[in-house]
Amino acid sequence: MIEFLDVHASYDGTTPILKGIDLTIEDGEFVAFVGTNGAGKSTAMRLVNGLLKPDRGAVLIDGVPTTQLKTSELARRVGFLFQNPDRQICSSTVRDELLFGFQAVGRLDDEARRRVDQIIEEFRFDGDADPFLLNRGTRQLLALASIVVLAPPVVVLDEPTTGLDFCECVKVMGIISQLHRAGTTVIMVCHDMEVVADFAERVVVMTDGRVVDQGPTFDVLRNRKTLDEADLVPPQMVDVSLLLPVMEPRFAGTSVATANTLAEMQAAIEDVAAGGAAAMAASEKDALDDVPFQGSERKER
Amino acid sequence: MIEIEDLTFQYRESDAPVIEDMSLSIPSGAFAGIIGAAGSGKSTLTYALNGIVPHCYPGDFYGSVRIDGNDTCDTTLTDLSQMVGSVCQDIDSQFVSAVVEDEMLYGLENYGVPHDQIEGRVQEALEAMGIADLRQRLIASLSGGQKQKVAIASILAMRPSVLVLDEPTAELDPASSRNVFALLSHYAEAHGTTVVVVEQKIALLSEFTDLLVVVEAGRIRFAGAPEEVLAHSEELLEIGVNCPRCTTLMNRLAAGGLYAGPVCTDVPSACRALCEVAA
Ligand SMILES: Nc1ncnc2c1ncn2[C@@H]1O[C@H](COP(=O)(O)OP(=O)(O)O)[C@@H](O)[C@H]1O
Ligand SMILES: Nc1ncnc2c1ncn2[C@@H]1O[C@H](COP(=O)(O)OP(=O)(O)O)[C@@H](O)[C@H]1O
Ligand SMILES: [Mg+2]
Ligand SMILES: [Mg+2]
Repeated sequence: MIEFLDVHASYDGTTPILKGIDLTIEDGEFVAFVGTNGAGKSTAMRLVNGLLKPDRGAVLIDGVPTTQLKTSELARRVGFLFQNPDRQICSSTVRDELLFGFQAVGRLDDEARRRVDQIIEEFRFDGDADPFLLNRGTRQLLALASIVVLAPPVVVLDEPTTGLDFCECVKVMGIISQLHRAGTTVIMVCHDMEVVADFAERVVVMTDGRVVDQGPTFDVLRNRKTLDEADLVPPQMVDVSLLLPVMEPRFAGTSVATANTLAEMQAAIEDVAAGGAAAMAASEKDALDDVPFQGSERKER
Repeated sequence: MIEIEDLTFQYRESDAPVIEDMSLSIPSGAFAGIIGAAGSGKSTLTYALNGIVPHCYPGDFYGSVRIDGNDTCDTTLTDLSQMVGSVCQDIDSQFVSAVVEDEMLYGLENYGVPHDQIEGRVQEALEAMGIADLRQRLIASLSGGQKQKVAIASILAMRPSVLVLDEPTAELDPASSRNVFALLSHYAEAHGTTVVVVEQKIALLSEFTDLLVVVEAGRIRFAGAPEEVLAHSEELLEIGVNCPRCTTLMNRLAAGGLYAGPVCTDVPSACRALCEVAA
């Protein structure tokens, strides 16, 4: 479990960046942090992995303040993916990069080598390739793999899909959701609301160093007023679901007004269209009651 | 007007052409968007527009690229840079000055813009990007979005007839990304500037562009108005380009016979269309 208790933080000891954050993240949760550039998301992430210590308040990992945990202990508990993967790649081959983490915690044994070979195969890497010659998407995957290989109970991912194309994004999110299914706690900063909607269980909205909303993903994403204030736009299907009932009363009270995903929205619209046709047929039938058969004979193809 | 004719280009180090048999014409004043998977050749295409290809990268170049009638192979980079302004993928490497104002002046002074025009151009470009208040700021102290606007403003001040931007919003949040596109399109419309922008955010491209070009492995797979191109949502997905969700929704409803109107490229148009479906 990770707890933020009234956390205040700064980089220089004077300019407040985080201004009183209270949060609890349970084991195995998938939490997304959203907010505009500069809202303090990366700063909050640095507090989880202990790179930055609070000026006031405390960040607890399994009940222990980060200030009391040794760096190696923190590294064992929390895997961290930086906003820019190039900041964490430091070896000259993909294999060495993946072994690096084991070396850092003094576990460079046969078991570690087996695990690295397994990951190389899983990710379809070339173990001898030079990380710096890989393209951006593959470097991001490597940075992610170097965390996955150590199997930490918690991963903190700062904008894991930024700068990637759609296929790379799908690949990276596939790996992250696999980790989550296997029980890893995932804390992710992400600007892409479609990705947030597809994967996160809970969303934390930050503005100017504060948490302005948090809760189950769609409770937060459907809260238009708070999103507006945070200068965020909901994912498109939520947007449609919020707008349609206002534009056309026929949608109010139908499943359109609660649909969150593409599949839900498609089904909801099909329902309304079918119901509409049925309702129309019914009313036509009412009006034409004295003309026998016409109403029912003409229907259906 | 940009005319690309049978363009093929292969870097000296690469073993296959990165751009193959590409032909495309972009009318003056158009706002063109380029999308495609990583490695499909989008950045190389932008180099072919601003002349870095072939002038700076050795390789095999076939066909031609003409900017307002000037063949890029026969025009010097100096002359080309007055016609084509570019903002590259890594803007931090593009800045030459520490302070915003100096960055703005650098290009203007180097290209011999008459002194009595300089102040007007600086002010106009800063205002166009909504950053007049940042004029005296240190570039290093700016946010990603502000830096991007400075990079664009310093190019706008040169008043190029073509503006090429390579993934200008990659590091930006959705609100600043949209803001950059809105400012750009407003400026371009007012000045008749042709804009070519490489971008992964399909929803932005579909909202702002009037020509959408989908590149696949160095070739143009689709080119046309966003409504035309996005009609192919399933094929686009196969080549790694995702449509906006509301486009996919409407395309699926269309496939199921529930909708027969034009392709919807944004939330408002999808909502209007859905009201008709319900009526
Ligand atoms: N290393 C740093 N030193 C000083 N200030 C910083 C540093 N990193 C970020 N900041 C400042 O902290 C604030 C929050 O930044 P950050 O946490 O990176 O936001 P986000 O990740 O939400 O975009 C911003 O005003 C930023 O300028
Ligand atoms: N300077 C270069 N020298 C050799 N090959 C390059 C160079 N720049 C890009 N390439 C190669 O050209 C292909 C297309 O790259 P690029 O134009 O950057 O694509 P995109 O911008 O669509 O990701 C890639 O395979 C890349 O490795
Ligand atoms: Mg950040
Ligand atoms: Mg590129």
